[in-house]
Amino acid sequence: MNENQKEESILAKLKDILQESCPEVEDWSSFGPSTTIESLGLDSLTILDLLYDIEQETGVHVEANEVVTFQSIGDINKLLLVKGG
Amino acid sequence: MVSEIKSESNFNRRRVVVSGLGIASALGIDEESVWENLVAGKTGIGPLRSIDTSDYKVGIGAEVPERLIEDHLATLKRRPIDRALDLAMVAAHKALLQAEVISDEPPYHEQNVSVIFGTGEGCAQSHHTAFTAFFEKGPRGLRPTTVPRCMYNAVSAGLSLQFKLTGTNYMVVSACTSATNAIGTAFRMIRDGYAETVLCGGSDGFFDPFFFGVWNNIPALSKIEDPTQACRPFAIDRAGTVLGEGAGALVLESFEKATSRGIPIRGEILGYGESSDASHITSPSHIGQAKAMRMALDEAGVEPGEISHINTHGTATKSNDSIESLSIRIVFSDRTDEVPALANKSFFGHTLGASGALESVVTLLSLEKGMVPPNLNIENRDPDCNLNLVGAEPIAIKKAPAMKNSFGFGGGNGVLILGPATN
Repeated sequence: MNENQKEESILAKLKDILQESCPEVEDWSSFGPSTTIESLGLDSLTILDLLYDIEQETGVHVEANEVVTFQSIGDINKLLLVKGG
Repeated sequence: MVSEIKSESNFNRRRVVVSGLGIASALGIDEESVWENLVAGKTGIGPLRSIDTSDYKVGIGAEVPERLIEDHLATLKRRPIDRALDLAMVAAHKALLQAEVISDEPPYHEQNVSVIFGTGEGCAQSHHTAFTAFFEKGPRGLRPTTVPRCMYNAVSAGLSLQFKLTGTNYMVVSACTSATNAIGTAFRMIRDGYAETVLCGGSDGFFDPFFFGVWNNIPALSKIEDPTQACRPFAIDRAGTVLGEGAGALVLESFEKATSRGIPIRGEILGYGESSDASHITSPSHIGQAKAMRMALDEAGVEPGEISHINTHGTATKSNDSIESLSIRIVFSDRTDEVPALANKSFFGHTLGASGALESVVTLLSLEKGMVPPNLNIENRDPDCNLNLVGAEPIAIKKAPAMKNSFGFGGGNGVLILGPATN
């Protein structure tokens, strides 16, 4: 799997996880790296849950303090790629 | 001695009325269909679908149709989280809408309304999820949000957050008395001027392998396999209770506030009594029960002869039904032979910490309609349960104060005197 394919795969997993935890978001057609965390309505608690779900799905452990400055899905995607997700 | 039991309270404070009712039950999630099923004698008890009961002694219960809850939650842009919270959310939403505390569409604006809810088992599904993750994966398997998902006040907190209710929020946990204690507490808060409006009630949803298993292993559940026959309150051939899930919600407010808003009043809370048996962890005591009944009547300023009907705790266990019957006769004396008595658990199942709320909703509907629903499976009455039990058909009652009893493991007793809407 090349880098692009890996990125697409992680993005798809993130979308699956987030669709489950963000029922108030109705339109997922534009979901991608530029989607902001704010637009998904994620607060600090839901981000903790998101990290848990990512670990269960990908095996990659991410500490909460690694994502506190993240603004977008792309930021999370890059970290997971670096950590071997 | 019971004859020496006297209420030490001195009441004459603000009137407390009901301006909203909500229900989520095996008979439906709107009060019209629930009432229709009640008067038609249709039970909500059936084979359990949400768990595989092949290893259990009991395979029946009263489940709320999954689809009803999911569809209603979707209107609030919510997904199912935990059954106790989800059921409470549905019932509370309906009660708040009816009371016009909230409008139909979120977002809601902050309001100084309190939330006092009762539960017996709390967020049982979330606990089960956490236990399972821990035993399968160890501490790292526990979701970071396990604490807010499993804490006992998750239900009241969830309601406060969803509907932006900024009064206090907390839970009352007293087994099967929880919801009645919650309603009574809310009543006192308004009566004594600590709150103007309170969302109160109870919720329990415990049909998961662990919590149902816990109940399955105590000898209180009926082993009768036919769901229509299994729950037989006050019958000599009663064989135990049948569990149910559900939630009931009431919006209480001061009479002054309700009338100033011009909101239709659904009924009134006239009195509340509570006591503790302090005698046995699971066996009830007629002394404690009679004390709570007398206290509630005293506060309401109502004589037993004025009570239109008694909505009993009526679990269909050997112990509860005979002790409750004795307690009623102690308080009502010869009037026991005249006042109609009924049990709703053969319809809803025993919804534990929610039962007092569901059955209070039924009591208020009965007072509105001047009619009480039937008792199911009462063909063979137990002579030890010497009450004036309603038969297999609904009967007319006068629109006058009614008694709602709830008693729980741990010895807690809660009794409400509910009245019809009056000016």
